[in-house]
Amino acid sequence: MTDPGNAIEQARAAAATMRAQGAYGEVQPAQRGEDTLATTLEDLFEWAMIDPDLREVRSTRKLGAPVTLLKLGLVRLLQQYHAELISQQTRFNVHVLGHVRRLETRVEELERIAGSREPDPDPDRVE
Amino acid sequence: MRIHQLLSGAGPHDAITSEAVSFRSRFHQWGWEGKDYAVHVAPGLNGHIRTLKRFKPQPKDVLLIHHSAGAPRLRELLALPNRKLLLYHNVTPAHWFWEHAPNVAVQCAVGREQLPGLVRGVEVAAADSAFNAAELEALGATRTAVIPLLVDYGRLGTPPPASASGAPGPPTILFVGRLSPHKHQDEIIRTFSYYRRFRAPDARLILVGDPISSRYLELLRQLAETLAPGAVSIESGLSNAELGERYRAAHVFLCLSAHEGFCIPVIEAFSQGLPVIARPAGAIPETTGDAALLVDDTDLAVLAELIHLAVTDAELRAELRRRGEARLGDYAPDVVADRLREAVEAAIS
Repeated sequence: MTDPGNAIEQARAAAATMRAQGAYGEVQPAQRGEDTLATTLEDLFEWAMIDPDLREVRSTRKLGAPVTLLKLGLVRLLQQYHAELISQQTRFNVHVLGHVRRLETRVEELERIAGSREPDPDPDRVE
Repeated sequence: MRIHQLLSGAGPHDAITSEAVSFRSRFHQWGWEGKDYAVHVAPGLNGHIRTLKRFKPQPKDVLLIHHSAGAPRLRELLALPNRKLLLYHNVTPAHWFWEHAPNVAVQCAVGREQLPGLVRGVEVAAADSAFNAAELEALGATRTAVIPLLVDYGRLGTPPPASASGAPGPPTILFVGRLSPHKHQDEIIRTFSYYRRFRAPDARLILVGDPISSRYLELLRQLAETLAPGAVSIESGLSNAELGERYRAAHVFLCLSAHEGFCIPVIEAFSQGLPVIARPAGAIPETTGDAALLVDDTDLAVLAELIHLAVTDAELRAELRRRGEARLGDYAPDVVADRLREAVEAAIS
């Protein structure tokens, strides 16, 4: 019997044996890193263009198909209003992000200039 | 005594709503009155939970605040003179949701922002696991308690009799939980494709859970069709009886979540005699004790081999079943009820 405490060691050994026999191929690491989930400026630019998913407009009730149809009909009737709303929000998003990008570039430039300067030998000295 | 429960959201398939309903029936048994309210009430609750707009407490009423997501009017609530008990169910970090479900991400981000204020504003800060309670303590909570989630696994039906080979039919891997990036169903599908390709060509994978968004569900379906065509079922909205059947038809419960504040499905798997393989993430080690195979390896081949072992080694299955059944004792309804009563009494003392 495999003791639960030894099961993982046994699985590791079996995976190594199987791999030596040509199974499994290269090690495929699990894609788990939370560190890859940080939101980047590129993500923000993509999200700035608002694009609601109409599949989310639906009824969750049993036999909700007619309600879903009604909701989709209402969305269609209000299309002009939503287009106006989306365009105004997207305009704001894109402009803010452009501003953020310019600020980031400026900060990088200033940091580069500050880094290339000779350090002050005695910063407390009074002229 | 009168005690009101306040939830951020309530729905017919929601574990916290079910717990609130069970708590209410315990309160009735103890002679305590009160009502239950939620900010968002989904259809189908038959009046068990009322909308928060109707909430008008008397000053001596006790408030039990279930916190699992951002809630409006919280500052107003905390300013009330009533004695308050927080029950923290954990809030998943928002970064898991920004890409696929921004509305959920906003709720989670706000829920986490609200947590320090909640901790300061209540008499006792309880949580459903020590993992969650540690978050409250890190925010300065001094009077904490652990009240495990009340898991009504009896609703799933009678567990199958122990047998050497497990359920009849092809090897079946199961995971139950919201279809969401932090639950890593994508990784489950990848692992399953390895297991199926190298160990069990007739194996099946069943994923049960409501999708966080239609787009995310579509991505998972595409991945499943690419890696294991025709072998993966994705189901949601199952009745209790149907869910029980899924547990009983499975050979292994595989949980690769990166974040869990408790993980009810693991307890449900124990109740149906199912071996559990899981990542030791969040509260999982605390929930499972020694009754699950906890694996942190990133090599999916190791996970596939562990599934193979759990499916084929009858004695290992029997030992895990025995340990799982023993674990259920810690989550027995009476044990949870005692902890709940102690926490409420501490809040009013």
